[in-house]
Amino acid sequence: MAEIENKLIVEIEEVREHFSSLMDKLIKDIKRQEKIMARADKRQKKEYDELQQRLEEVQKLQLAQKELMDSFIKIIAEAIDAKSAYTGGHCERVPEIAIMLAEAADKSEKIDFEIHNDDEKREISIAAWLHDCGKVVTPEYVVDKATKLETIYNRIHEIRTRFEVIHRDLTIQALKRKLAGEDEKEVDEWLTKAHQQLQEEFEFIANVNVGGEFMTDEAKEKVKKIAKREWIRHFDDTLGLSYMERVAVENKDKTLPAKEYLLSDKPEHIIPRDKKEIEDFKKWNFKMDIPENLYNRGEVYNLMVNRGTLTKEEFFKIQEHVVMTIKMLEQLPFPENLKNVPLYAGAHHETLIGTGYPRKLKKEDLPIPARIMAIADVFEALTASDRPYKSPKKLSEAIKILSFMVKDKHLDEDLFKLFLESGIYMEYAKKYLKPFQIDEVDISQYL
Amino acid sequence: MENLYIEATKYTPEVNLDAEKGLIEIRGKSYPENTFEFYEPILKWVEEYFNCCAKDETIVNMEIIYFNSSSSKVFFDFFDLLDENKDEHKIVINWIYDEENETAEEAGEDFIEDFEDLDIRLVVKEQ
Repeated sequence: MAEIENKLIVEIEEVREHFSSLMDKLIKDIKRQEKIMARADKRQKKEYDELQQRLEEVQKLQLAQKELMDSFIKIIAEAIDAKSAYTGGHCERVPEIAIMLAEAADKSEKIDFEIHNDDEKREISIAAWLHDCGKVVTPEYVVDKATKLETIYNRIHEIRTRFEVIHRDLTIQALKRKLAGEDEKEVDEWLTKAHQQLQEEFEFIANVNVGGEFMTDEAKEKVKKIAKREWIRHFDDTLGLSYMERVAVENKDKTLPAKEYLLSDKPEHIIPRDKKEIEDFKKWNFKMDIPENLYNRGEVYNLMVNRGTLTKEEFFKIQEHVVMTIKMLEQLPFPENLKNVPLYAGAHHETLIGTGYPRKLKKEDLPIPARIMAIADVFEALTASDRPYKSPKKLSEAIKILSFMVKDKHLDEDLFKLFLESGIYMEYAKKYLKPFQIDEVDISQYL
Repeated sequence: MENLYIEATKYTPEVNLDAEKGLIEIRGKSYPENTFEFYEPILKWVEEYFNCCAKDETIVNMEIIYFNSSSSKVFFDFFDLLDENKDEHKIVINWIYDEENETAEEAGEDFIEDFEDLDIRLVVKEQ
């Protein structure tokens, strides 16, 4: 029995020892597990802090980039406004109208349009700021062309004319001396009449040059008739020219003296357009008719301009600004949240019926912000008081013109009504129009 | 004994176990989806290496950028394994970390504290 007992005790001892070592191991394991967990927690906290810190840095950077981008946009807009007095503060004021109208459209139940977040609002604002960015490349002399005959001018021509005059003065002086014996009275009467007619003709041409009145067929005939007056040129008109000008007169007959017309259209007045430009237009899906020539400086040609001062070539050059706007903006890698900027900015000269430019878009192609841009653009241009070429329109006149454009389906009717109903037109007028411009407007007739 | 090489992935480290050179290297991030499954062949290799073919000196290079807690558990088991073999074999463990990675540095310090008898050296990675 004792033997069995002893054996049992030994076994129990063994089991106990085994158990005890197992327990030790288990305790060690649990402790280790606790340690691992505690360290993991510590590490996680640290990693989280680091991530948080990085996130803050990224956010800071994002904000800085956003600010930088906004500043860039404003610089471009200011550059355009500063480039020409004829644009005045246009680029700066259009966003004001656009944002006001977009916010009103968002609230309105009649218009299917919502601004879901700040990014969408920013997209509209940026598009409005940049809608004329293409104007940076429009030549100033075209934007600012104040008279029909105005151009970048090589004054050698003017100086040559003075030589011509002195040449005549000398001839006249000689003739006078020679012909001292003629009937003085008769000659004087003739001369007075001739001088008078010349004065009148000059006044007529000078007046046509300003471009204030529509050119009737009668006026055109008169220009042509006056243009036919002849004079004799004694000097070489191919001297003192720039390289490009010289190329244009390479094959010209240089015989002197030469008969000249008072006003003329000469081959060298035409500056041809690069064929590549026309191909490029197709590639970009621009659907405007492109004039064959880049410019035509012909004197009669320019004086024949029906209304205003711009030839069709120059008119195209002006319209091309929106082409440049699109080209510039479509090349920028706008992030997803700003991807509509080129569309919003580049469609402000489109109409609802496909008669606008440069892409002849239609209503269904034009999202609400693009249509807003068109209204803002026209209204600002009409009411601006900082353009040297025109007196600012009164509020009632500007709204009447907008209403005509609505009737012609150039501008969106619902947005126009909202523009009036919401009182945005008045809010804007109070801020930017001169007091004399703000007259009584009966908006009920348009609603 | 065959060498074992495992390429790094987004979540697992590069593993280079070279019996001829007596080299055990684990470099990179350690967030395996199934940690024990990932490390099982590695621990097995190490065990076998010490059983049959260990060199006079074994160099262990560990450069762990980030690791999860189950990896941490595996590292303990790994160090246990080294601890069991340290008397018969010379083992040098380099715990390599980037100067800017404080977490990795602290983890190395913790292991030194836990395994006083192992020759664990903190090595700042050369830029």
